[in-house]
Amino acid sequence: MSPSKTVVRESMEKSLFGKSTKSKLVERLVFALFRLGTYFVLLCAATIFVDIVYKGGKTVFRSEFPFLNVEFLSDSPQTLHVFEYQGRKYEMSDSNFRSFRQGIDEPIVTETYAYSGGGIWPCIAGTLLLVAGAMIIAMTLGVLSAIFLSEYSRPGKILNAVRLSILNLAGVPSIVFGIFGMGMFVLAFGWNVSLIAGWFTLALMVLPIIISASEESMRAIPQGMRDASFALGATQWTTIRTNVLPYAMPGILTSSIIGVARVAGETAPIMFTAAYALRDQLPWEGLERWYDLFFQGVMALPYHIYVVSAKIPQNEYTSRMQYGTAFVFLFIVAAIALSSILLRIRMRKKYRW
Amino acid sequence: MDTPAVESHRGDRNPSLIRISDFDFSYGDKQALFDINMDIAEHEVTAFIGPSGCGKSTLLRCINRMNDLIESARIDRGKVEVNGLDIYDERVDATELRKRIGMVFQKSNPFPKSIYENVIYGLRIQGINRKSELDETVERCLKGAALWEEVKDRLDTSGLSLSGGQQQRLCIARAMAVGPDVLLMDEPCSALDPVATAKIEELIHELKNDYTIVIVTHNMQQAARVSDRTAFFYMGNLIEMNATDQIFMSPDKEQTEAYISGRFG
Amino acid sequence: MKRFFHEELEAIRSHIMEMGERAVESANLALRALEQRDLDIAESVIEGDEIIDAIETRIDEEVARYISLRAPVAKDLRLLFIAVKASHDLERVGDEATSIVKRTKKILASNETYRELGRVPDMCELAISMLKEALFSFIQEDEDIAYQIIRQDKEVDALNRENFKEFVELMKDDASKVDVYAEMIFISKSFERIADHAKNIAEEVYFLLTSQSLKQVLKGDAQT
Repeated sequence: MSPSKTVVRESMEKSLFGKSTKSKLVERLVFALFRLGTYFVLLCAATIFVDIVYKGGKTVFRSEFPFLNVEFLSDSPQTLHVFEYQGRKYEMSDSNFRSFRQGIDEPIVTETYAYSGGGIWPCIAGTLLLVAGAMIIAMTLGVLSAIFLSEYSRPGKILNAVRLSILNLAGVPSIVFGIFGMGMFVLAFGWNVSLIAGWFTLALMVLPIIISASEESMRAIPQGMRDASFALGATQWTTIRTNVLPYAMPGILTSSIIGVARVAGETAPIMFTAAYALRDQLPWEGLERWYDLFFQGVMALPYHIYVVSAKIPQNEYTSRMQYGTAFVFLFIVAAIALSSILLRIRMRKKYRW
Repeated sequence: MDTPAVESHRGDRNPSLIRISDFDFSYGDKQALFDINMDIAEHEVTAFIGPSGCGKSTLLRCINRMNDLIESARIDRGKVEVNGLDIYDERVDATELRKRIGMVFQKSNPFPKSIYENVIYGLRIQGINRKSELDETVERCLKGAALWEEVKDRLDTSGLSLSGGQQQRLCIARAMAVGPDVLLMDEPCSALDPVATAKIEELIHELKNDYTIVIVTHNMQQAARVSDRTAFFYMGNLIEMNATDQIFMSPDKEQTEAYISGRFG
Repeated sequence: MKRFFHEELEAIRSHIMEMGERAVESANLALRALEQRDLDIAESVIEGDEIIDAIETRIDEEVARYISLRAPVAKDLRLLFIAVKASHDLERVGDEATSIVKRTKKILASNETYRELGRVPDMCELAISMLKEALFSFIQEDEDIAYQIIRQDKEVDALNRENFKEFVELMKDDASKVDVYAEMIFISKSFERIADHAKNIAEEVYFLLTSQSLKQVLKGDAQT
């Protein structure tokens, strides 16, 4: 090697070898910090999840056949009677207690715990109805406005203002939606506390998510596909119908998954507009006209959790109910989200570009 | 050796099909085309060449009114006539016009549908659903686009499963299905490899028997190979339009010579 | 894949072949005009040369057009190069034939008789066979034939030297025939030039087919 080459090599060694130990240390520290933060978040989530699954599981599952607490899943909430009879300790919901007492003459002394017996079936049904209706309304309105914003509107200040207000709407606290829904739908429209008032209130709340996500996924469709359609003599609506909406659907569904989770989970918007703390009849029972379905209040899982954890005296029996409800609620949200994800994956496969 | 054995490339022109006269065009405040005058003859391949942003694609998109879709696009002056009819007449329905003047784009853009559905998209949206007619169209157009042999056994697979060159030929077949007289091609080979490009060029050479073709290309050799006439654009002006031999062997204008010989700027 | 414009290359090839046939014909007719003392044949050679010139111009145009529009490379490009060079050689063959018949006309006009053609007919035959073989190697794409032609050129050169000696002797014998045999020397030289052009074409065909210079190859072969 020539002398000048050796010099070059030495200077290269100087710059390439042995980064200063200090910067290496900082590197490691920062990295550890990030790692720690992530672990902390994971730990919190896991704690909550395990707690709910463990404690709720005790309520929902049984050790013998059919392994599920059928009463919990199919009955209405009832008062729990706890009593001793012939030396044995019984826990019974109100209706079971009444039939149990039929054959017994002697008086039974019981301790009663409100809301701690029976099941949560009306809440499950109510939540499912609320979610379904709110999502139908929200997706219809949301997709319509997204089509307008993405395909038809003229870019300019007004459009920007509309977009900004939609974004702001997403930041409004849910209790404000609840109060707005009460003022608008319950009082001004005279719908009273009803399913339909709840639908619209919840729909308004998730609209911003659905509009912005739908618009985003429509804009993500290559302009080339629209151009190709126009060049074949298609009108704008034909193009949107055949070449934009179908391919934007996976994206719209993704946004609706987030929407479903929010709609199902919100308590504040429905507590003034749609939810009853206790209702004996299921939503579809005792209707005079079919559309009365819309104009009646329902029980709902999140509101039920709120009621059993905040509105009644706490004890070991209510705590069982709380965890059981939370567990079922978690399961339902996860199931809805999972099915939307599966649907989205199927659509993605079909409409891949 | 009494008569030339090779066809003359500078012979008589076919009759004019598209006439563009005194045409000024702007996007917003920015004028994109200045006083364009040209005749495009039927059953010829006319190539538009020029550096990026010279207005060649803009003019192409004026011929089937694709520029209508751009908000700020505006015609300031002049006419585009097809068969003597001003296509910017307010009575002209742009969607009907586009059925007569098809377009193939730079990036092959088949719909994420089956090959079959891609070809008949233009018919489906017109409400044509008769199976026999659709089958016939698919076969005719795929044959016309030299794709039939390659895909006839898998018409129900996605158009996106084809290679780039096949996709572009599918797009040509799709454009043919609505029965146009004119095919506008906006850099149809710019994303293709040389073999796929050669196939498209062969196809263009075949298609000019049935269609009038206008092709925008960045590739000067491509213009030289496939076109009968070449128009050179620079900064929104039509600098020179002439028989392709003439343009590439002895152009009239210095700018043209500088561009085609790569001595530009 | 064969491209639509490859037909244009075929056209150029066929023009070279046509030119070659006409050049061979001209050389043949030139000898016949000389042997048979036929002025009509001489005229037809001169007319034929104009056509040969026209074909050469045409080939030049076609080659220029093909290079401008088709961006040829490799063998296509070599074909175009040799098309230009070979057509030039063939055009020169036509010119030599013309020059032969012009000298023949001069001799005939001087009313001098000549009894001796020397080895001119042999030369002509050899030169024409070289030309034909060069063209044959071109059509057949056979570089071996092209390789063989080079040797024959030496024989033609030898015949030309023989002619020169013989005609000089004849001039010494009869001073009145000096004009005639001076022309004869030039005629002999013209046939020798025709053979040279045939050799050039052979070299060009060899380059077309192998992309190697035949002269270099011969040097190499001589060394081994």
